Amino acid sequence: MEIIINIFLLILSVYFIIGLLFGFYFLFRGASKIDPLMENTKTKVRFLLFPGVVVTWPFLIGRLFKSKTP
Amino acid sequence: MGLDYQLVLWNKYKKAYDKIIIISMLLYIILFAAITLIFNSETTIETLVIRAFGSLAIIMLNIILIIGPLARLNSNFLPILYNRRHLGVSMFIAAFIHGGFSIFQFHALGDVNPIYSIFTSNMDYNSLTNFPFQVLGFIALLILFAMASTSHDFFLGNLSAKVWKRLHMMVYFAYALIIAHMFLGAFQQETSPLTIGIMTIGFFTVASLHLITAFKEQKIDSMKMEEQEGWLKVCTISEIEEDRAKIFTVKNQRVAVFKYNGKLSAIHNVCKHQGGPLGEGKIIDGCITCPWHGYQYLPSNGQSPPPFTEKVATYQLKLEGDMIYINPEAFDEGTEVEPCNY
Ligand code: HEM
Ligand code: FES
Repeated sequence: MEIIINIFLLILSVYFIIGLLFGFYFLFRGASKIDPLMENTKTKVRFLLFPGVVVTWPFLIGRLFKSKTP
Repeated sequence: MGLDYQLVLWNKYKKAYDKIIIISMLLYIILFAAITLIFNSETTIETLVIRAFGSLAIIMLNIILIIGPLARLNSNFLPILYNRRHLGVSMFIAAFIHGGFSIFQFHALGDVNPIYSIFTSNMDYNSLTNFPFQVLGFIALLILFAMASTSHDFFLGNLSAKVWKRLHMMVYFAYALIIAHMFLGAFQQETSPLTIGIMTIGFFTVASLHLITAFKEQKIDSMKMEEQEGWLKVCTISEIEEDRAKIFTVKNQRVAVFKYNGKLSAIHNVCKHQGGPLGEGKIIDGCITCPWHGYQYLPSNGQSPPPFTEKVATYQLKLEGDMIYINPEAFDEGTEVEPCNY
Protein backbone atom coordinates (compact mmCIF):
# COMPACT_ATOMS: atom_id res chain seq x y z
CA MET A 1 0.00 0.00 0.00
CA GLU A 2 2.77 2.39 0.92
CA ILE A 3 4.33 1.94 -2.51
CA ILE A 4 1.07 2.84 -4.23
CA ILE A 5 0.68 5.92 -2.03
CA ASN A 6 4.25 7.00 -2.76
CA ILE A 7 3.84 6.60 -6.50
CA PHE A 8 0.52 8.41 -6.47
CA LEU A 9 1.86 11.35 -4.50
CA LEU A 10 5.01 11.49 -6.59
CA ILE A 11 3.01 11.68 -9.82
CA LEU A 12 0.74 14.27 -8.24
CA SER A 13 3.61 16.52 -7.18
CA VAL A 14 5.45 16.21 -10.49
CA TYR A 15 2.19 17.05 -12.27
CA PHE A 16 1.72 20.19 -10.20
CA ILE A 17 5.34 21.30 -10.46
CA ILE A 18 5.29 21.06 -14.25
CA GLY A 19 1.95 22.86 -14.15
CA LEU A 20 3.39 25.69 -12.06
CA LEU A 21 6.32 26.19 -14.40
CA PHE A 22 4.19 25.93 -17.51
CA GLY A 23 1.59 28.26 -15.98
CA PHE A 24 3.87 31.28 -15.92
CA TYR A 25 5.11 30.74 -19.46
CA PHE A 26 1.61 30.07 -20.78
CA LEU A 27 -0.25 32.96 -19.21
CA PHE A 28 2.34 35.59 -20.02
CA ARG A 29 3.49 34.26 -23.42
CA GLY A 30 1.82 31.18 -24.86
CA ALA A 31 -1.85 31.89 -24.27
CA SER A 32 -2.11 34.75 -26.75
CA LYS A 33 -0.88 32.38 -29.47
CA ILE A 34 -3.94 30.17 -29.16
CA ASP A 35 -6.46 32.78 -27.99
CA PRO A 36 -6.39 36.30 -29.48
CA LEU A 37 -8.56 37.53 -26.60
CA MET A 38 -5.61 36.99 -24.26
CA GLU A 39 -3.52 39.68 -25.91
CA ASN A 40 -5.20 42.58 -24.12
CA THR A 41 -6.11 40.69 -20.97
CA LYS A 42 -5.07 42.35 -17.71
CA THR A 43 -2.56 40.87 -15.30
CA LYS A 44 -5.07 40.26 -12.52
CA VAL A 45 -7.21 38.16 -14.85
CA ARG A 46 -4.10 36.18 -15.78
CA PHE A 47 -3.57 35.37 -12.12
CA LEU A 48 -7.19 34.31 -11.78
CA LEU A 49 -6.62 31.87 -14.65
CA PHE A 50 -3.36 30.60 -13.18
CA PRO A 51 -4.65 27.73 -10.98
CA GLY A 52 -6.74 26.39 -13.83
CA VAL A 53 -3.71 26.33 -16.13
CA VAL A 54 -1.74 24.45 -13.48
CA VAL A 55 -4.49 21.82 -13.41
CA THR A 56 -5.07 21.46 -17.15
CA TRP A 57 -1.59 21.99 -18.59
CA PRO A 58 -1.46 18.72 -20.59
CA PHE A 59 -4.44 19.86 -22.68
CA LEU A 60 -3.13 23.39 -23.14
CA ILE A 61 0.36 22.20 -24.15
CA GLY A 62 -1.27 20.06 -26.83
CA ARG A 63 -3.07 23.11 -28.17
CA LEU A 64 0.11 25.17 -28.20
CA PHE A 65 1.89 22.58 -30.32
CA LYS A 66 -1.00 22.31 -32.71
CA SER A 67 -1.03 26.08 -33.20
CA LYS A 68 2.66 26.10 -34.12
CA THR A 69 2.41 23.45 -36.84
CA PRO A 70 -0.69 24.37 -38.76
CA MET B 1 -18.24 39.90 -26.53
CA GLY B 2 -15.35 42.06 -25.32
CA LEU B 3 -11.86 42.12 -26.73
CA ASP B 4 -10.21 40.79 -23.61
CA TYR B 5 -11.15 38.53 -20.74
CA GLN B 6 -12.61 40.09 -17.60
CA LEU B 7 -12.46 38.73 -14.08
CA VAL B 8 -16.20 38.20 -14.18
CA LEU B 9 -18.78 39.29 -16.72
CA TRP B 10 -20.92 41.13 -14.22
CA ASN B 11 -24.52 42.04 -14.52
CA LYS B 12 -26.82 43.22 -11.78
CA TYR B 13 -28.40 39.80 -11.28
CA LYS B 14 -25.07 38.11 -10.75
CA LYS B 15 -24.14 40.67 -8.11
CA ALA B 16 -27.45 40.16 -6.32
CA TYR B 17 -27.04 36.37 -6.45
CA ASP B 18 -23.52 36.60 -5.13
CA LYS B 19 -24.66 38.71 -2.21
CA ILE B 20 -27.30 36.11 -1.41
CA ILE B 21 -24.70 33.35 -1.59
CA ILE B 22 -22.23 35.09 0.71
CA ILE B 23 -24.83 36.20 3.26
CA SER B 24 -26.39 32.73 3.39
CA MET B 25 -22.98 31.13 3.90
CA LEU B 26 -22.13 33.52 6.74
CA LEU B 27 -25.53 33.00 8.36
CA TYR B 28 -25.10 29.24 8.19
CA ILE B 29 -21.67 29.38 9.81
CA ILE B 30 -22.88 31.68 12.60
CA LEU B 31 -25.95 29.56 13.22
CA PHE B 32 -23.93 26.36 13.21
CA ALA B 33 -21.44 27.83 15.68
CA ALA B 34 -24.18 29.10 17.98
CA ILE B 35 -26.06 25.80 18.04
CA THR B 36 -22.89 23.77 18.58
CA LEU B 37 -21.71 25.98 21.41
CA ILE B 38 -25.08 25.85 23.13
CA PHE B 39 -25.42 22.07 22.99
CA ASN B 40 -21.80 21.09 23.13
CA SER B 41 -19.85 23.86 24.79
CA GLU B 42 -16.61 21.88 25.00
CA THR B 43 -16.15 21.83 21.23
CA THR B 44 -12.82 23.38 20.28
CA ILE B 45 -12.75 26.17 17.75
CA GLU B 46 -10.85 24.03 15.21
CA THR B 47 -13.39 21.23 15.37
CA LEU B 48 -16.14 23.81 15.06
CA VAL B 49 -14.62 25.31 11.94
CA ILE B 50 -14.03 21.87 10.42
CA ARG B 51 -17.59 20.76 11.01
CA ALA B 52 -19.24 24.02 10.06
CA PHE B 53 -17.46 24.32 6.72
CA GLY B 54 -17.59 20.60 5.91
CA SER B 55 -21.35 20.48 6.36
CA LEU B 56 -21.76 23.82 4.56
CA ALA B 57 -19.82 22.47 1.58
CA ILE B 58 -21.90 19.32 1.26
CA ILE B 59 -25.17 21.24 1.61
CA MET B 60 -24.05 23.60 -1.15
CA LEU B 61 -23.00 20.68 -3.32
CA ASN B 62 -26.43 19.13 -2.88
CA ILE B 63 -28.05 22.39 -3.93
CA ILE B 64 -25.76 22.67 -6.95
CA LEU B 65 -26.64 19.16 -8.11
CA ILE B 66 -30.35 19.74 -7.59
CA ILE B 67 -30.46 22.96 -9.65
CA GLY B 68 -29.84 21.16 -12.96
CA PRO B 69 -32.80 18.79 -12.85
CA LEU B 70 -35.03 21.38 -11.11
CA ALA B 71 -34.49 23.84 -13.94
CA ARG B 72 -35.41 21.15 -16.46
CA LEU B 73 -38.61 20.31 -14.59
CA ASN B 74 -39.63 23.91 -13.94
CA SER B 75 -38.27 26.84 -15.88
CA ASN B 76 -38.69 29.22 -12.93
CA PHE B 77 -35.40 27.84 -11.66
CA LEU B 78 -33.52 28.82 -14.81
CA PRO B 79 -32.05 32.08 -13.40
CA ILE B 80 -30.32 30.09 -10.64
CA LEU B 81 -28.94 27.70 -13.26
CA TYR B 82 -27.32 30.60 -15.09
CA ASN B 83 -25.62 31.61 -11.85
CA ARG B 84 -24.54 28.17 -10.73
CA ARG B 85 -20.90 28.85 -11.49
CA HIS B 86 -20.33 31.17 -8.55
CA LEU B 87 -22.15 28.80 -6.27
CA GLY B 88 -19.68 26.13 -7.34
CA VAL B 89 -16.64 28.26 -6.66
CA SER B 90 -18.02 29.31 -3.24
CA MET B 91 -18.65 25.65 -2.43
CA PHE B 92 -15.04 24.84 -3.26
CA ILE B 93 -13.84 27.61 -0.93
CA ALA B 94 -15.96 26.20 1.91
CA ALA B 95 -14.63 22.69 1.23
CA PHE B 96 -11.10 24.05 1.07
CA ILE B 97 -11.41 25.74 4.48
CA HIS B 98 -12.76 22.47 5.90
CA GLY B 99 -9.99 20.38 4.36
CA GLY B 100 -7.31 22.92 5.18
CA PHE B 101 -8.30 23.09 8.84
CA SER B 102 -8.51 19.29 9.07
CA ILE B 103 -5.02 18.94 7.64
CA PHE B 104 -3.79 21.63 9.97
CA GLN B 105 -5.36 20.07 13.04
CA PHE B 106 -4.68 16.40 12.40
CA HIS B 107 -1.76 16.19 10.02
CA ALA B 108 0.49 19.23 10.23
CA LEU B 109 1.85 18.83 13.72
CA GLY B 110 4.16 15.85 13.19
CA ASP B 111 7.35 15.94 11.18
CA VAL B 112 5.81 14.12 8.20
CA ASN B 113 4.67 16.12 5.20
CA PRO B 114 0.98 16.85 5.94
CA ILE B 115 -0.29 15.57 2.58
CA TYR B 116 1.74 12.38 3.03
CA SER B 117 0.31 12.14 6.52
CA ILE B 118 -3.30 12.17 5.22
CA PHE B 119 -2.52 8.99 3.34
CA THR B 120 -0.33 7.23 5.87
CA SER B 121 -1.35 8.27 9.40
CA ASN B 122 -4.00 5.58 9.30
CA MET B 123 -3.10 2.57 7.17
CA ASP B 124 -6.34 0.67 7.78
CA TYR B 125 -7.31 0.62 4.11
CA ASN B 126 -8.90 -2.81 4.47
CA SER B 127 -11.22 -1.80 7.25
CA LEU B 128 -14.68 -0.38 6.76
CA THR B 129 -15.19 1.13 10.18
CA ASN B 130 -11.71 2.57 10.50
CA PHE B 131 -11.02 3.48 6.87
CA PRO B 132 -8.82 6.57 6.36
CA PHE B 133 -11.79 8.59 5.14
CA GLN B 134 -9.67 11.74 4.88
CA VAL B 135 -8.09 10.28 1.73
CA LEU B 136 -11.50 10.29 0.04
CA GLY B 137 -12.07 13.90 1.08
CA PHE B 138 -8.66 14.84 -0.27
CA ILE B 139 -9.27 13.31 -3.69
CA ALA B 140 -12.70 14.92 -3.84
CA LEU B 141 -11.13 18.25 -2.96
CA LEU B 142 -8.65 17.86 -5.83
CA ILE B 143 -11.53 17.33 -8.24
CA LEU B 144 -13.45 20.30 -6.86
CA PHE B 145 -10.28 22.37 -7.23
CA ALA B 146 -9.90 21.34 -10.86
CA MET B 147 -13.49 22.38 -11.51
CA ALA B 148 -13.45 25.66 -9.61
CA SER B 149 -10.17 26.75 -11.17
CA THR B 150 -11.38 26.08 -14.71
CA SER B 151 -14.79 27.69 -14.36
CA HIS B 152 -13.76 30.83 -16.25
CA ASP B 153 -14.90 31.18 -19.87
CA PHE B 154 -11.27 31.12 -20.97
CA PHE B 155 -11.11 27.40 -20.21
CA LEU B 156 -14.43 26.65 -21.84
CA GLY B 157 -13.01 27.93 -25.11
CA ASN B 158 -9.44 26.74 -24.82
CA LEU B 159 -9.89 23.25 -23.39
CA SER B 160 -12.59 22.51 -25.99
CA ALA B 161 -16.14 21.98 -24.85
CA LYS B 162 -15.69 18.21 -24.74
CA VAL B 163 -12.77 18.19 -22.32
CA TRP B 164 -14.35 20.88 -20.17
CA LYS B 165 -17.61 19.02 -19.96
CA ARG B 166 -15.88 15.76 -19.04
CA LEU B 167 -13.93 17.52 -16.33
CA HIS B 168 -17.09 19.02 -14.90
CA MET B 169 -19.01 15.75 -15.06
CA MET B 170 -16.50 14.48 -12.54
CA VAL B 171 -18.55 16.32 -9.94
CA TYR B 172 -20.61 13.16 -9.65
CA PHE B 173 -17.52 11.13 -8.84
CA ALA B 174 -16.49 13.76 -6.29
CA TYR B 175 -19.98 13.62 -4.82
CA ALA B 176 -19.72 9.85 -4.37
CA LEU B 177 -16.31 10.24 -2.72
CA ILE B 178 -17.67 12.86 -0.33
CA ILE B 179 -20.66 10.73 0.63
CA ALA B 180 -18.25 7.92 1.44
CA HIS B 181 -15.98 10.39 3.26
CA MET B 182 -18.87 11.48 5.46
CA PHE B 183 -20.28 8.07 6.25
CA LEU B 184 -16.95 6.38 6.89
CA GLY B 185 -15.89 9.42 8.92
CA ALA B 186 -19.08 9.40 10.92
CA PHE B 187 -18.28 5.92 12.26
CA GLN B 188 -15.16 7.33 13.85
CA GLN B 189 -16.17 10.81 14.95
CA GLU B 190 -19.22 11.55 17.07
CA THR B 191 -21.11 13.14 14.20
CA SER B 192 -24.62 14.15 15.20
CA PRO B 193 -27.56 12.15 13.83
CA LEU B 194 -28.95 15.45 12.55
CA THR B 195 -25.98 15.92 10.19
CA ILE B 196 -26.33 12.37 8.91
CA GLY B 197 -30.07 12.89 8.50
CA ILE B 198 -29.67 16.06 6.46
CA MET B 199 -27.03 14.44 4.25
CA THR B 200 -29.20 11.37 3.65
CA ILE B 201 -32.16 13.51 2.67
CA GLY B 202 -29.88 15.53 0.39
CA PHE B 203 -28.61 12.42 -1.30
CA PHE B 204 -32.05 11.00 -1.95
CA THR B 205 -33.31 14.34 -3.27
CA VAL B 206 -30.42 14.58 -5.71
CA ALA B 207 -30.81 10.98 -6.85
CA SER B 208 -34.58 11.08 -7.26
CA LEU B 209 -34.63 14.39 -9.15
CA HIS B 210 -32.05 13.04 -11.57
CA LEU B 211 -34.12 9.90 -12.06
CA ILE B 212 -37.31 11.89 -12.64
CA THR B 213 -35.70 14.04 -15.36
CA ALA B 214 -34.13 11.00 -16.98
CA PHE B 215 -37.53 9.31 -16.98
CA LYS B 216 -39.18 12.38 -18.49
CA GLU B 217 -36.63 12.51 -21.31
CA GLN B 218 -37.06 8.83 -21.93
CA LYS B 219 -40.77 9.47 -22.31
CA ILE B 220 -40.13 12.17 -24.92
CA ASP B 221 -37.85 9.82 -26.83
CA SER B 222 -40.20 6.87 -26.82
CA MET B 223 -43.29 8.89 -27.74
CA LYS B 224 -44.87 7.57 -30.95
CA MET B 225 -45.96 10.21 -33.44
CA GLU B 226 -48.69 9.65 -36.02
CA GLU B 227 -47.50 9.78 -39.58
CA GLN B 228 -49.43 11.28 -42.46
CA GLU B 229 -47.95 11.32 -45.96
CA GLY B 230 -44.42 11.79 -44.68
CA TRP B 231 -45.38 14.44 -42.11
CA LEU B 232 -45.43 13.71 -38.40
CA LYS B 233 -48.21 15.00 -36.17
CA VAL B 234 -46.67 17.15 -33.43
CA CYS B 235 -49.30 18.77 -31.21
CA THR B 236 -51.84 21.59 -31.27
CA ILE B 237 -50.81 25.25 -31.17
CA SER B 238 -52.30 25.80 -27.75
CA GLU B 239 -50.15 23.07 -26.20
CA ILE B 240 -47.08 25.27 -26.62
CA GLU B 241 -46.62 28.32 -24.41
CA GLU B 242 -45.87 31.71 -25.97
CA ASP B 243 -42.10 32.29 -26.44
CA ARG B 244 -41.36 28.72 -25.44
CA ALA B 245 -41.05 25.35 -27.09
CA LYS B 246 -42.06 21.74 -26.85
CA ILE B 247 -39.47 19.06 -27.53
CA PHE B 248 -40.14 16.05 -29.77
CA THR B 249 -38.02 13.26 -31.12
CA VAL B 250 -38.12 12.75 -34.86
CA LYS B 251 -35.79 10.24 -36.51
CA ASN B 252 -33.91 9.87 -33.21
CA GLN B 253 -33.14 13.59 -33.14
CA ARG B 254 -34.62 15.93 -30.57
CA VAL B 255 -36.37 18.87 -32.16
CA ALA B 256 -37.73 21.99 -30.46
CA VAL B 257 -40.90 23.56 -31.83
CA PHE B 258 -41.10 27.23 -30.81
CA LYS B 259 -44.14 29.50 -30.68
CA TYR B 260 -43.63 33.27 -30.78
CA ASN B 261 -45.32 36.34 -32.19
CA GLY B 262 -48.00 34.36 -33.99
CA LYS B 263 -45.37 32.18 -35.64
CA LEU B 264 -44.02 28.65 -35.30
CA SER B 265 -40.48 27.44 -36.05
CA ALA B 266 -38.64 24.20 -35.44
CA ILE B 267 -34.91 23.73 -34.89
CA HIS B 268 -32.61 20.96 -33.70
CA ASN B 269 -32.74 20.90 -29.91
CA VAL B 270 -28.98 20.68 -29.31
CA CYS B 271 -27.00 23.86 -28.61
CA LYS B 272 -23.70 24.17 -30.48
CA HIS B 273 -21.95 25.41 -27.39
CA GLN B 274 -22.15 22.41 -25.11
CA GLY B 275 -25.24 20.57 -26.16
CA GLY B 276 -27.69 22.46 -23.96
CA PRO B 277 -31.41 21.76 -24.58
CA LEU B 278 -32.53 24.74 -26.66
CA GLY B 279 -36.17 23.75 -26.35
CA GLU B 280 -36.01 24.34 -22.61
CA GLY B 281 -34.92 27.91 -23.20
CA LYS B 282 -36.99 30.98 -24.00
CA ILE B 283 -37.26 33.42 -26.86
CA ILE B 284 -35.53 36.59 -25.67
CA ASP B 285 -35.25 39.65 -27.94
CA GLY B 286 -36.46 37.55 -30.84
CA CYS B 287 -33.80 34.87 -30.36
CA ILE B 288 -33.99 31.36 -29.00
CA THR B 289 -31.79 31.58 -25.92
CA CYS B 290 -30.06 28.47 -24.61
CA PRO B 291 -30.92 27.80 -20.96
CA TRP B 292 -27.40 26.75 -20.10
CA HIS B 293 -25.14 29.66 -21.01
CA GLY B 294 -27.28 31.94 -23.10
CA TYR B 295 -26.13 31.30 -26.68
CA GLN B 296 -28.72 32.69 -29.09
CA TYR B 297 -30.21 31.50 -32.37
CA LEU B 298 -32.72 33.04 -34.74
CA PRO B 299 -35.79 30.79 -34.89
CA SER B 300 -36.29 31.15 -38.64
CA ASN B 301 -32.82 29.96 -39.71
CA GLY B 302 -31.09 28.47 -36.65
CA GLN B 303 -28.19 30.91 -36.97
CA SER B 304 -26.61 32.89 -34.17
CA PRO B 305 -26.98 36.61 -34.87
CA PRO B 306 -23.74 38.23 -36.16
CA PRO B 307 -20.91 38.45 -35.16
CA PHE B 308 -21.45 34.87 -33.95
CA THR B 309 -21.30 31.99 -36.39
CA GLU B 310 -23.02 29.03 -34.70
CA LYS B 311 -25.69 27.26 -36.76
CA VAL B 312 -28.15 24.50 -35.96
CA ALA B 313 -30.36 22.44 -38.26
CA THR B 314 -33.87 23.68 -39.04
CA TYR B 315 -37.10 21.82 -39.86
CA GLN B 316 -40.16 22.51 -41.98
CA LEU B 317 -43.50 22.79 -40.18
CA LYS B 318 -47.03 22.95 -41.55
CA LEU B 319 -50.40 23.67 -40.03
CA GLU B 320 -53.70 21.92 -40.63
CA GLY B 321 -56.29 23.80 -38.65
CA ASP B 322 -54.96 23.80 -35.14
CA MET B 323 -52.63 20.84 -35.58
CA ILE B 324 -48.89 21.25 -36.18
CA TYR B 325 -47.07 18.80 -38.47
CA ILE B 326 -43.33 18.44 -38.98
CA ASN B 327 -41.29 17.14 -41.88
CA PRO B 328 -38.86 14.69 -40.22
CA GLU B 329 -36.10 15.46 -42.73
CA ALA B 330 -33.77 18.09 -41.26
CA PHE B 331 -32.47 20.91 -43.44
CA ASP B 332 -28.77 21.74 -43.42
CA GLU B 333 -27.61 23.78 -40.46
CA GLY B 334 -28.56 27.43 -40.80
CA THR B 335 -31.10 26.95 -43.61
CA GLU B 336 -33.71 29.71 -43.76
CA VAL B 337 -37.26 28.32 -43.30
CA GLU B 338 -40.37 30.44 -43.61
CA PRO B 339 -42.05 30.25 -40.16
CA CYS B 340 -45.65 28.99 -40.00
CA ASN B 341 -48.07 31.85 -39.34
CA TYR B 342 -51.22 31.17 -37.39
C1 HEM C 1 -8.24 17.40 2.30
C2 HEM C 1 -9.45 17.02 2.30
C3 HEM C 1 -10.28 16.68 3.52
C4 HEM C 1 -9.91 16.30 4.79
C5 HEM C 1 -8.50 16.10 5.33
C6 HEM C 1 -11.12 16.13 5.55
C7 HEM C 1 -11.19 15.74 6.88
C8 HEM C 1 -12.35 15.55 7.60
C9 HEM C 1 -12.40 15.18 8.98
C10 HEM C 1 -11.19 14.98 9.87
C11 HEM C 1 -13.72 15.08 9.34
C12 HEM C 1 -14.30 14.73 10.69
C13 HEM C 1 -14.58 16.01 11.41
C14 HEM C 1 -15.22 15.81 12.75
O1 HEM C 1 -16.31 15.25 12.79
O2 HEM C 1 -14.62 16.23 13.72
C15 HEM C 1 -14.50 15.37 8.17
C16 HEM C 1 -15.88 15.38 8.13
C17 HEM C 1 -16.63 15.83 7.07
N1 HEM C 1 -16.14 16.23 5.83
FE1 HEM C 1 -14.17 16.33 5.28
N2 HEM C 1 -12.20 16.41 4.73
C18 HEM C 1 -11.72 16.75 3.49
C19 HEM C 1 -12.48 17.12 2.38
C20 HEM C 1 -13.86 17.25 2.37
C21 HEM C 1 -14.63 17.73 1.26
C22 HEM C 1 -14.07 18.12 -0.11
C23 HEM C 1 -15.95 17.75 1.66
C24 HEM C 1 -17.21 18.17 0.95
C25 HEM C 1 -17.37 19.02 0.03
C26 HEM C 1 -16.00 17.27 3.02
C27 HEM C 1 -17.15 17.14 3.76
C28 HEM C 1 -17.21 16.66 5.06
C29 HEM C 1 -18.43 16.53 5.81
C30 HEM C 1 -19.82 16.92 5.33
C31 HEM C 1 -18.06 16.00 7.06
C32 HEM C 1 -19.00 15.72 8.23
C33 HEM C 1 -19.09 16.98 9.03
C34 HEM C 1 -19.53 16.77 10.42
O3 HEM C 1 -18.94 15.90 11.10
O4 HEM C 1 -20.41 17.49 10.87
N3 HEM C 1 -14.70 16.98 3.42
N4 HEM C 1 -13.65 15.66 7.12
S1 FES D 1 -24.87 24.82 -24.01
FE1 FES D 1 -23.83 26.59 -23.42
S2 FES D 1 -25.12 28.08 -24.30
FE2 FES D 1 -26.06 26.31 -24.94
